[in-house]
Amino acid sequence: MKKLLWLMVLVLSLALAGAAGAAGVQGVTDTSIKIGQWGPQTGPAALWGAVARGTGVYFELINSEGGINGRKIEYFMRDDGYNPNRTKAIAKELWEQEKIWGFACGVGTSPGMAVMPYIIKNNIPWVGMATGSPHWTQPLKKNIFGVYPLYPDEAQILTSYAIDTLGKKKIAFFYQNDDYGKGGLEGAVRELKKRGMTLAADVPVEVGETDLASHVLKMKKAGADCVIMWVYPKHAAIVLGTAAKLGYKPQWMACSTLSDVALMFKITKGLWNGMIFGNFAELPDSKSPLMVKYQAAQKKFAPKERWGVFFYAGFGFVEPMVEGIKRAGKDLSVGNFIKAMESLKDFQGIMGPITYGPERRQGIKKVFLAKCVPATMEVNGKKVTYGKGQRLSDWIGVE
Amino acid sequence: MDMKRDYYEDVRLLDSGPQVFWLVLLLAALSVFPFWADSYQIYTLNLMAINVIVALGLNLLVGYTGQISLGHAGFFAIGAYSTLALMLNAHLPFVLALPLAGFISAAFGFLLGLPALRLEGPYLAIATLGFGLTITQILGRLDAFGGHMGLQAPPLDLFGLKVATDAGRYAVIMPICVVMTWGLRNLTKTRVGRAFVAVRDSDIAAECIGVNLTYYKTLAFAVSAFFTGIGGGLMAFILGFISPHTFNVMVSIMFLAMVVVGGLGSILGSIMGAVLITWLQLELARIGELPYLGPLLTELSQQVFTLSGLPNVQYVVFGLIMVLIIIVEPLGLYGFWIRTKIYWRTWPF
Repeated sequence: MKKLLWLMVLVLSLALAGAAGAAGVQGVTDTSIKIGQWGPQTGPAALWGAVARGTGVYFELINSEGGINGRKIEYFMRDDGYNPNRTKAIAKELWEQEKIWGFACGVGTSPGMAVMPYIIKNNIPWVGMATGSPHWTQPLKKNIFGVYPLYPDEAQILTSYAIDTLGKKKIAFFYQNDDYGKGGLEGAVRELKKRGMTLAADVPVEVGETDLASHVLKMKKAGADCVIMWVYPKHAAIVLGTAAKLGYKPQWMACSTLSDVALMFKITKGLWNGMIFGNFAELPDSKSPLMVKYQAAQKKFAPKERWGVFFYAGFGFVEPMVEGIKRAGKDLSVGNFIKAMESLKDFQGIMGPITYGPERRQGIKKVFLAKCVPATMEVNGKKVTYGKGQRLSDWIGVE
Repeated sequence: MDMKRDYYEDVRLLDSGPQVFWLVLLLAALSVFPFWADSYQIYTLNLMAINVIVALGLNLLVGYTGQISLGHAGFFAIGAYSTLALMLNAHLPFVLALPLAGFISAAFGFLLGLPALRLEGPYLAIATLGFGLTITQILGRLDAFGGHMGLQAPPLDLFGLKVATDAGRYAVIMPICVVMTWGLRNLTKTRVGRAFVAVRDSDIAAECIGVNLTYYKTLAFAVSAFFTGIGGGLMAFILGFISPHTFNVMVSIMFLAMVVVGGLGSILGSIMGAVLITWLQLELARIGELPYLGPLLTELSQQVFTLSGLPNVQYVVFGLIMVLIIIVEPLGLYGFWIRTKIYWRTWPF
């Protein structure tokens, strides 16, 4: 009986869809598409909330150019304060009450994990979650598309660069003792193993720790001439300060979560100088046409925002989604959208080349490396030194 | 106004005919609710029911026994993690795992109750705050509990019946909420309940009339933790996924806010507080979509506060509502209720 009912519903909806084009798809009309996102604007992770606001500006830019295939984007942004039970409520509310079509980005691993089963169950398109955890794309979920390069891959790239280009022999790994840090550690160990090498030291740090002298001494004692960091900004600043005090001067390297070079230079009082770090998106002062266009959009639609990497990452994470919608054409059914997304091959926006396929949901597998160099600018007639990134390499990937 | 004339009238569960009438009406409304509501509304009500359970437990501690706790997110976490761990690792069915988790949480409550014997007021607040923070730190380190990554909830299985919809979860959660409310009301009417109140009013006087302080203070913590643990266990299923982030210090503070805004030492108050604050938390997130007022507030926020805009306004409004309630009526929502009742009883005088 139930099956029969489903069959009838299916036949009916097919007939309706045939008659009215895309009218049968939730959240899409002839003139609009509803897209939602959650992001922490308050709470412990509020710094990364810039991603969600960036996406908003990007959509405004697209709307001002006439939208996608004649459809304007209606954007719903909600603050979840990095609290998964609010994220869940937001996802339900957006899908069931606002009747959105799909989700863009979404900051944070645990908020994302809380809503993933729901998004899979309802087959809602979700593109570009702002975290490098592998849980989104491994194993493959049909309606979920990752953009952010995976932490293990990035660590592998940094490690091989340290050995091949910088000629470092003894590498230490300094990481936050959780999924995020361990993801990086896994990649570094994998790369070293391939070359029959081991880490000179692996030094975990707990989130609450503030005295890092023993950590630095451990790396110094191991004689490491290169240290790769997989930590939050606070620990990165403390460890550099401590090392400077103890006279320990290895080559420092950092993960892409620390790629906001101007900010890091400022909070480390210049110690960030010389840091080599991974990047998932173009540098802030990049002259690529897209970046110039996006910065103009920021000046126009959100003049008070700082042009930092997490802000424009909000543009980058949804670029493939917009391209997919464009390619899907008038019929925005989920199946059709997935097919369009799978046709993306080396799609280049302001991030690394993005490729999807029937068996691939991890969009970016490449990062590029940059080095922090000091630069000066004039603010109110006074010379101010700030840190800026200098590009060292092209997009590099792992095999 | 009718007076109570003997002891048995005082310990009766329901005081009057109208009370029975309204209660039956409420229960009837709750039981037909899922038939006409949509999934999001049912989810909201589930969330409210869970918060009601926790608020009741916390009110027993704060309102009835006069002790304070800023660490109830810890018990919430223990309840949630124990339920899932018992189901995933020990393969216990949900009907066993949930009460067991409640008792595990109660055991921790008992342990925390021990130092509480010597601490009072702000000192106790800090001690319990420390407890709440420590629990999430420890859970983050334990790989058996998924570490910082968290745990995925197994399917909710009730005597072989898979519960996968919000309405199904409602059918599990709401009866538990009703039964626990009934249980707490019963408890406050017994010898134990009166001992709690005696401890609150003056512990020296209570001891003089033969109330065992050690026993009742720790018992209050244990019972309170039991309620919170059950709430946590249910929460794990409506979220489907838990991680240490879910149980941050804000959660503890919100629980306390529910109790204070609702009304200390009152069951109806706990329910009203939990419902109001849960609703505000969800609803204020949409404040920007109000006609006229929304864009105005967004603009104001961007001018005066930071760029993130609306969320600040959301919290300001949230705080303002709470402050106003407490200023106007120190007894909280329950005070409003009492005043309305008295007004109507004596009307037109």
